[in-house]
Amino acid sequence: MVLGGLLVYPVYQLGLISFLEYTQAQVSGGEPATFQGFGNYAELFGDGEFWRVLLATVVFAAACVVSTLAVGCALAVLLTRVRAVPRLALMLAALGAWATPAVTGSTVWLLLFDPDFGPVNRMLGLGDHSWTYGRYSAFLLVLLEVVWCSFPFVMVTVYAGIRAVPAEVLEAAALDGASQWRIWRSVLAPMLRPILVVVTIQSVIWDFKVFTQIYVMTGGGGIAGQNLVLNVYAYQKAFASSQYSLGSAIGVVMLLILLAVTLVYLRLLRRQGEEL
Amino acid sequence: MKLAPRLAVLLAAAVVAATACAPQTSDNSSSGKDEKSGTLRVWLFQEVNNKPKEKVVDAVLADFKKAHEDTKVTVEYIPVETRAQRIKAAFNDPKSAPDVIEFGNTDTAGYVKDGGLADLTEEFAAWDEAKDADPTARQSVTVDGKVYGAPYFVGVRALYYRTDVFDELGLKAPRTLDELAATAKQVHAAKPDLYGIAVGGAYTYGAMPFIWANGGELATGKGGSYASAIDSAAARKGIEAYTSLFGDGNCPAAKCAGMGGNDTVTAFASGKAAMAIGGDFSHQAVEAGKAKGKYAVVPLPGVKSGSIAPAFAGGNNVGVLKSTSHRTLAVDLMKRLASKKAQGELFDAMGFLPTFTDVRQQVAAKEPFVKPFVDTLAAGTKFVPASPAWATIDSSQVLPTMFQEVISGKKDVGAAAGDAARKMDDAFGSAG
Amino acid sequence: MNLLRAQVRRPWRLAAEASALLIAVVVAFPLYWMVLSAFKPAGEIESTEPRPWTLTPSLDSFRRVFEQQEFGRYFLNSLIVAGSVVIASALIAFLAATAVTRFRFRFRTTLLIMFLVAQMVPVEALTIPLFFLMRDFGQLNTLGSLILPHIAFSLPFAIWMLRGFVKAVPEALEEAAYIDGASRTRFLWQILFPLVFPGLVATSVFSFISTWNDFLFAKSFIISDTSQSTLPMALLVFYKPDDPDWGGVMAASTVMTIPVLVFFVLVQRRLVSGLGGAVKD
Repeated sequence: MVLGGLLVYPVYQLGLISFLEYTQAQVSGGEPATFQGFGNYAELFGDGEFWRVLLATVVFAAACVVSTLAVGCALAVLLTRVRAVPRLALMLAALGAWATPAVTGSTVWLLLFDPDFGPVNRMLGLGDHSWTYGRYSAFLLVLLEVVWCSFPFVMVTVYAGIRAVPAEVLEAAALDGASQWRIWRSVLAPMLRPILVVVTIQSVIWDFKVFTQIYVMTGGGGIAGQNLVLNVYAYQKAFASSQYSLGSAIGVVMLLILLAVTLVYLRLLRRQGEEL
Repeated sequence: MKLAPRLAVLLAAAVVAATACAPQTSDNSSSGKDEKSGTLRVWLFQEVNNKPKEKVVDAVLADFKKAHEDTKVTVEYIPVETRAQRIKAAFNDPKSAPDVIEFGNTDTAGYVKDGGLADLTEEFAAWDEAKDADPTARQSVTVDGKVYGAPYFVGVRALYYRTDVFDELGLKAPRTLDELAATAKQVHAAKPDLYGIAVGGAYTYGAMPFIWANGGELATGKGGSYASAIDSAAARKGIEAYTSLFGDGNCPAAKCAGMGGNDTVTAFASGKAAMAIGGDFSHQAVEAGKAKGKYAVVPLPGVKSGSIAPAFAGGNNVGVLKSTSHRTLAVDLMKRLASKKAQGELFDAMGFLPTFTDVRQQVAAKEPFVKPFVDTLAAGTKFVPASPAWATIDSSQVLPTMFQEVISGKKDVGAAAGDAARKMDDAFGSAG
Repeated sequence: MNLLRAQVRRPWRLAAEASALLIAVVVAFPLYWMVLSAFKPAGEIESTEPRPWTLTPSLDSFRRVFEQQEFGRYFLNSLIVAGSVVIASALIAFLAATAVTRFRFRFRTTLLIMFLVAQMVPVEALTIPLFFLMRDFGQLNTLGSLILPHIAFSLPFAIWMLRGFVKAVPEALEEAAYIDGASRTRFLWQILFPLVFPGLVATSVFSFISTWNDFLFAKSFIISDTSQSTLPMALLVFYKPDDPDWGGVMAASTVMTIPVLVFFVLVQRRLVSGLGGAVKD
C-alpha cells in the first residue's frame, strides 16, 4: 500500500499516453505531445493482424494456464506422498527450472529440439523433423517450455498450502477410505481455494503476457508471424521503435481483457459461495 | 517505523500531483556550453573478449590526455543488448548522458530523429582524414545531408565455401548468382546430408545482396520521404532468386525458413552446409567448428560473371551527444577514437575492418583472410534507408515475413512483396 | 496405527517416489544441458553429433564470464537488491495480508484487484513513466531505483498469496489466543507468523527469483554507472546480434542459477516443516 504510488502512477500515465502521439521524439522534448483521441485505438482495431494475434494469444494462454496448473498441482500432491530424498530432488530440479533466466531456458530448449544439433530428435528417432516450422508444433514446443519454467511456482505454492492444512484433517479423510482424487477434490481443493485463486490469476496474467519464450524460440513470432502473441506484437509494433503511444494502447487493451477475466472468475467464485 | 512509509506516500502523491497533467518530456536541447576542461564520458560497446579493445582505447586516451591535460575521460563499456534502453535513457536524462558514444550504424537515423546526436557536418568536412572514408561508411553517418558522427568500423558479408567438398565433387567457386544456385543443388544432390548453401528466411542481410544484384532497391527517395521499392520488378527478381534456394533441392523450407544469419553460419561451421553467407566477424565461429582448415571465402558473386553482388555494410559509428557541454573536446576525442591509426590498431586487436579505404588495403595485405571482404567493400556496398522508419520495419520483421511467406508457399512473390511494400510505406509515412 | 498404514501403502509410495525421481530427471535435463554446454569447448555446443557428455571439458566459457569488468561487484549488487526486496516485501506483505484478511473495510475487493492491475500490462509500457519517476526522485543509477520498483511489483502478488495462507488459519485459533490473554502484537508475531511461514517462504522464493533475473529495470534505470549494475547485465554481454557466444551465455546462466538454488536449500526446510511445530504449541 505504501508503494501503491509506484504502481498506480505508471498505470495512470499509461492510459494517458495511449491517447497521445508519443514517441521518443516527444519523450526527449524534440516535438510536443499532441492529443490523438482514440486514434491509436482506431489504428489498432483497424489492423486485421491484431485480431488474429489476439485470438492466438487467448487460446495459447488458456492452454498454458491449464497445463501449468494441472502439472503443478499433481506434482504438489505427489510431493506430499514421498520421502525426503525424492522430494528434495524434484524440488531442486523444479527450482532450477524456475530460476533459469527465461532467455537461457528458451535457448536451451531450442538447442535440445534443434533438428540438426539437438539430442531430442535423436532420442525420439524423429530424424530432422523441425519443431518450429509448423504453427501448432511451434506453439506446442513453446507451451512445453512455458510449463517447464512456470509449473514450479504452482507446485511450490500449492505444496506450501497443503503443508498448512492440519495433518489431522488429511488423516481423518484417509482413514475414511477416501481415494487420492476424492481427498483432493473434497478436502484439499476447498481448503486451498484462496491459494488456488491467486495461482490461477497469476498464471493467467503471466501466460497472457508471455514474451521471451515466443520471441526467442520462434525467432520473433514464427514463420511469417504465425506464432505472434500480443506482447510480442506490441513489442514489434511499438516498443522496439519507440512508438510508446501505440504500445500503451495495446497495454490498455491487455489490461482490460485481463481485468475482465479476473472479475468474471472472481464473480463465479462468489456465486459458488466463496468470498474474497 | 510508521512515519517513513507515510512520508513516502506523501512524496509520491506530491510527485503525482505535480506531474499529473501531461506525460513527461525532457528538455534535451543542446547545452550551449563548450567547456574546455572537466570530465568527458564515453560509452563504447562491450565485446565478448573486451581486453584488446580496451588496450587500443587506452592508447588513444593516453594521447588525448597529453593534448588536454585538464581533462579527465571515463570510459564505460556497455553490453550491445542494452544499448536501446541506455541510449534512449541518456537522451532523456542529460545528467546520466555521456559525451561520446559508439552506436550501430543502422541506428543513426533513429537517434537523429530522437534529437540525440550533434550535427558535426562542419567538423567532419574540416577533418583531413575524412576524405579517405569510403562512401558507404560516410553514408551511414549521414542523414538528410548532414553528418552525425565518424565511422568506426565496418562489417560485411561474403561467401564461405567448403574447399574439401568442392574438390571432391570437382566444383569451382560460383561466379554468378545463377551458378551459385546450380552449385548448391549439385552439392545437395551428391551429399543429401549437406545443405548446398545454408540460407535463412530471417537472414535479411544475407538476402539483400540478391535484391541489389538484380538491380532492385529496398526503398527509394531522399531525406524524410522514402517510398518502398521492394515490389519493383527488379526487386521481385531478387526475392525470387533468394527464395528459390529454399526447398528440398538445397535447404529444406521446414528447417531453413526460420533460420537467421547466425544459424546459417552455425550450420556451415558445424559441417552441415557446403556454403554460407557469413561476415568477416564470423571468422572465429567458423574456425572453432568442424569446417576449420577446410574452407575458403570469396565475394558473393553478382548477376554477371566476375561481378560482385553489392553487400550490406554494417558496422559501428562514433558520435557526439547533442547535450554535451564539452563539444570541442568531445569532437576531438571522437576523431582520435575513429582515426586511421586507431582503426588500424583496432583491426589488429579485434579484427574489425577499418572504414578508410587506404587503411583497409594495408590490413588486407597483412592478413589474407580479409581480402575477399575488402574486395566486396571495394566493389561498392549498400546501406539501409537512412530513415527512422527503418527501426520499425526492422523490428516488425517486414522483410523476414515476406521471405517466409514465399518460402512456405503462403503467398507468391508478387503478393508477399506487395504486402511488404505497403507495410514499409506505412512506416515511412508515420515516421515522417 | 501409523506403522500399520505405512506398511500397507509401501508399494504405492515406492511407485510415487520412482515417478517423482523420474520427473525430476526430465525436469533437470535442460538444466543439465545448460551446464554441459557451459563446459563444452566452442564449436562443440552446436555439433551434428549431440552428445550428452563432453570429452574435453573446458573452463573457457566460465573464464570469459568472470573476466568481465567488475563481475564481483555485479554479483554483490544483485545480492543486495534481491535481499532487500525479499525482506521488505515479506514483512510488508505479511502485515498487509493480515489487514485485508482479518479486517473488513470498504473497497477491500477493489483494492485487492488494484494490486494486480499493474502486472497486467506489458512492463515495457511502464518503464517510461517509472523512468521519469526515478529521475525526479534522483534515484537513477542507484540500487534504490531497482529495489523500490521490485518491491512494488512483488508486493501485490505476495499480499494476494499470503492472504490465502492467513485465511487458512482458523479464526477460532485467534479467539483462543485472545482468551488466553495474548495481545494483538503477540498473536501476530508469535502465533500467526509461524503459521504462515511456509507461505512466506514460497513468496520469498518468488520475489527473489523475479528480482534476481530482472533485465528490464536494470538496463532501463542503471544508465551511466556500471558499478551499480546487476548480474543479468553480465549475461547480456554474450548476446551479440550477429555472433552470440552460447558458451558464455550458458556459463553465465549457470553462475546465476546457483545462488537461487543455495537460497532455496537454505529456506526449504522451513517450507517443509514450517507448520508441524507451530500447531502443537
